[in-house]
Amino acid sequence: LEEPPEHRAPKPLLSGAVPIEQFLATLQKHGITEVKVEDTPDGHILHLQDEDTLIQLEEDSTHIICDNNEMLRATLRDLVLRFLQKF
Amino acid sequence: LIMKDNSLRLVAPEQALKELGLSEHQLRFTCRVQIQNPQSEQDTLNTIYSHLKSVLKEHSIQHLPDGTVMVESILIKVSAAAEEPSTKTLLVSWSYQDEELGGYLCTLLRKGLPQSTG
Repeated sequence: LEEPPEHRAPKPLLSGAVPIEQFLATLQKHGITEVKVEDTPDGHILHLQDEDTLIQLEEDSTHIICDNNEMLRATLRDLVLRFLQKF
Repeated sequence: LIMKDNSLRLVAPEQALKELGLSEHQLRFTCRVQIQNPQSEQDTLNTIYSHLKSVLKEHSIQHLPDGTVMVESILIKVSAAAEEPSTKTLLVSWSYQDEELGGYLCTLLRKGLPQSTG
């Protein structure tokens, strides 16, 4: 296991929103096709059925809830980041 | 670094977002990590606390009264499956700002806990 990360790494802020339709299309391009979408008062919950993963999308927040599958998590993270600006 | 009214200024990221009229987008991750540990939920959490204290000497680690261990802003909770109490599910939750440490903690915890509590 690598050394713990340095204490004072830069902490970038994110801005923007993740558009649901475009995000679903992006997921599909990456082979994630079995997605159940549920509407909530503030946005949507995406259930990635084959991956047993939930993504809660709201206007100003995204929450990715998954098993400890680092590769999948990193992929989903990068797909979400495509729609956001980093500061 | 922002450019406004033809001048360049160095400001904190939060301030820059505000001045540009943008709102922050919170990106959060919660990972489920399953480990085998015969201890009670409470003792498992104590073991995690001691383990992380010994590994992450440079980081702030707290044991909160609500049954959560907090490393910087990363939250760790423990729950046991009713039908198989020695299988514990750890929920590790962090924001994008703590991305590196969050990923590291998941990998570390997946390797299991030391047998004796430190």
